[in-house]
Amino acid sequence: MSQPLYLSGYWLLLLLFMPLAVYSGFRMLLGVMRKGEGGKERDWSVPQLEFETGAMSTVHRWDVRFKLASFLVLAFVVVSLQHHQTALAALLLAFCGYRAACIPWRRGFKRLLGMSGFLSMFLLMLPLTAVRQPDDLLLIFGQLEWLSFNLRGLDLAVLIILRATTVAMLMEPLLATAPLPVTLAGLSRMGVPQRITELLLITHRYLYVFVHEARRMQIGMEVRGFLKTSNIATLRTVGNFVGMLFVRSFERTERVYSAMMARGYQGHWPQPVSFRATTTDYYKTALCLALGILLLGCDRLLLVGG
Amino acid sequence: MHISDGVLPTTIALGCYAASAAICTWSVKRTRSEDLPKVAVLTAAFFVASLVHLPFGPTSVHLLIPGLVGALLGPSAFLAIALGLVLQCLLFQFGGLTALGANLLMMGLPALLAGLVFYRFKGTGRKQRIWVGALCGGGATIFSALLLAVLLASGGEDFYGVAKLALGAHIPVVLIEAGVSAMVVSFLLKVKPEILDIPFVMKEKP
Repeated sequence: MSQPLYLSGYWLLLLLFMPLAVYSGFRMLLGVMRKGEGGKERDWSVPQLEFETGAMSTVHRWDVRFKLASFLVLAFVVVSLQHHQTALAALLLAFCGYRAACIPWRRGFKRLLGMSGFLSMFLLMLPLTAVRQPDDLLLIFGQLEWLSFNLRGLDLAVLIILRATTVAMLMEPLLATAPLPVTLAGLSRMGVPQRITELLLITHRYLYVFVHEARRMQIGMEVRGFLKTSNIATLRTVGNFVGMLFVRSFERTERVYSAMMARGYQGHWPQPVSFRATTTDYYKTALCLALGILLLGCDRLLLVGG
Repeated sequence: MHISDGVLPTTIALGCYAASAAICTWSVKRTRSEDLPKVAVLTAAFFVASLVHLPFGPTSVHLLIPGLVGALLGPSAFLAIALGLVLQCLLFQFGGLTALGANLLMMGLPALLAGLVFYRFKGTGRKQRIWVGALCGGGATIFSALLLAVLLASGGEDFYGVAKLALGAHIPVVLIEAGVSAMVVSFLLKVKPEILDIPFVMKEKP
């Protein structure tokens, strides 16, 4: 039998506000951090992947191929964890790794912000809609019998958030500690077709070009008094804006391609990066894999035990 | 909406990776090698277009444009969306690293379908093209919302509520997407109608 626990309606309000609070808390944190940088506007900013600290941490010196392999395995281990205890341990380890890579926390927070909307949805919906099972602890608010707050659902939501946060925390040490071309070269050594990694580089490069172009167009629209609202005129203007962006980009592709041909492009680029693995790389990777196996092992043991 | 890490069961995440890798390979094969850099440059433009936020009542939604990508790129659309999503994951954490395959299927399959529908039914008249453009934009969004709901529901019965909410949250997006797609098609018909004639990558060499 479920064990209903009767509470007053205030608790319901409190619990419903929790996801909202998490989400807006993140927004505020980011706003505070942005104020420190001189109060830049929100839109159109695409972060730089690579981050120059000048620091050469252990993670910076790690061979990219080994780093990629270890972090990918760890990411999949983390999302397979089924218990809070192990997921929390993984999160703490990820924080340690993050610290070891000498990356400012602001970048990690931005990543968390990117997911916060999606994850708030789970925090809101899972406790209310999780299927009632015999030994669930239910909170029922006053007369609202149909609306019960299932603590197992809340547990599930928290577990998902722990896993997502851990993987997000792994992303920064993985990507920010080497230039993107080097990371992608490492990826192509690991079996991803070189063509794909080259295309990623081109896209990444032109991303900033088009962001710049779009920002210019947007400034032009704003000085002409354009204000986004929910009406047909906005749709038409945004349609024209996007269409113009496409037309310009289609014309640009021809010029880019000619320029590439003129510089001797023959379907692939020379690979300037050469990798050499040292024993330390093997040690670091072995450490990561051992941690992963340990986490997964503990997790499965908990499953048997609990 | 992008699926983040830790939501999908690991087997589903890995399966989606395999499926999207296979479709991506097909998509690259269908693209002529000299067109690949061009697709990459266009992807950057699509990426920027997807950063545009539109207010809808109290909230704002951002454009998804799978329909337009499909209509403009045909079979290469899947590749373009793959490139875009990888970068969104790497830069913003929109969509998790382990859920990349699932996100790719969710956006890429509707784009391919929209491309197919657009070239089949676009006809020659201006009105008809605009209507088909709106249909592709809205339809692709509905399809991707359905795929999202199915993927979320794969986590078990507990996730059905979330899946329903995610589906419902896409209703405003579908409306805006259809509207913007129609406007973009109408703009392109005025300014550069030839890019709507045949998919970019199927064009004959000049």
